Amino acid sequence: MIGIEDCLSEAMSIPGALGAILVDHTSGMAVAEKGMPDPARSAAGLSEAFRATIDGVAVSSPEGSFRVEDLIITTDTSYHLIRPMEMMFDGPLLVCLRLDRERANLALARRRLLTITDQLVAS
Amino acid sequence: MAASTLDTALPALAADGTTGALRAGKEGTVYLSQGRVSYVECAATLSVEELLAASGRISATGLRTVRQAAGPDEHGGDILVRQGVLSRGELQFCVLGATLDAAYFLLQARPARTRFKEGEEHWLGAHWFFDVPGLLRECARRRSRLERAWPSAELDGRPVTPVSHIGAARAVLTPLQWELMRTADCTATPAELARRLGRPAYSTLLAVRELAAAGLLDTGQTAAPALPKRTPPGGRSQPGRGAGTGKEPASPPQAEGRHASGPLAVNADATDVNLLIRLRDALEAL
Repeated sequence: MIGIEDCLSEAMSIPGALGAILVDHTSGMAVAEKGMPDPARSAAGLSEAFRATIDGVAVSSPEGSFRVEDLIITTDTSYHLIRPMEMMFDGPLLVCLRLDRERANLALARRRLLTITDQLVAS
Repeated sequence: MAASTLDTALPALAADGTTGALRAGKEGTVYLSQGRVSYVECAATLSVEELLAASGRISATGLRTVRQAAGPDEHGGDILVRQGVLSRGELQFCVLGATLDAAYFLLQARPARTRFKEGEEHWLGAHWFFDVPGLLRECARRRSRLERAWPSAELDGRPVTPVSHIGAARAVLTPLQWELMRTADCTATPAELARRLGRPAYSTLLAVRELAAAGLLDTGQTAAPALPKRTPPGGRSQPGRGAGTGKEPASPPQAEGRHASGPLAVNADATDVNLLIRLRDALEAL
């Protein structure tokens, strides 16, 4: 079992990791971060991106309910991984990881992030 | 040390790097650890103990046992983690969530009289730290977030009353909004609903304001103006999260009325254009 800071360090040890941030989705607050240029704005922006995606997928999914496991955004230089974690009383808590597209292995990064988040909320 | 208001006492204690509990009467307590805020309790919001009990992870009796066993050697939070009630990360998130929730309402209440007890710790121990300016900044950010969702505070203290018919074509709700709509009985205020649901008071308030912005709550006005108010003025803020797609016109323009006005009525409709082309071709063929 790991804490919030360990979760960030672990995420940053994923090959190609450039920055990681934990965002409280309800309030859009940056809980903790490493290597993010402007944490407050990043948190608000990533939280909004996640919300917009959920809303968009919700109205375009034939199935009534769905659960987002993660969000992958590919830009010309990087990958952004956003993974929601259901917390006990509030949340979700979003783990957002920015990866160098040249150096990162997307499949590996997804698996590693899953392992890390499982450790964070495991009980 | 007898300090004055919370607003003045808190920065002073933080600057001195003190450790202890700053009590604001019955309204709440701010716990400091070497000048940083480690925990805040507020009478209006759920404490970590209450959140834990509400989550069903541990019974009230179990919690009492841990509390009695807690001491300077092993803090209550560490015992909970060791016993596997929750993970280290969950404990930290729980503490920071409860702290921000309590700080928002405690600082807004501006308690006038405070008393500082040096060295006093919370039985859970310190698991997350906020510097005082950062905490104040976050409270201000949360306040403006509420403003953006729905710019009026008049719903905050009133019973949450869902409308019987919604004006929107569709409504998308978050899990918390759904719980609120399900639990709202037209007598409970947002704070009471938060307690009933075991949710943070701030998140509940935000959800209530978003529901109001989406036109799903009785906002006390006559039914008609409720819908146009959905997009609050100022800033090109997105429509609320639960906004649905109420802005679009109800349905495409109807075609029925035209047929009633007779077969000769011509519009820029594809069928009409085709008819004209066929007529012209037929005339040319004569």
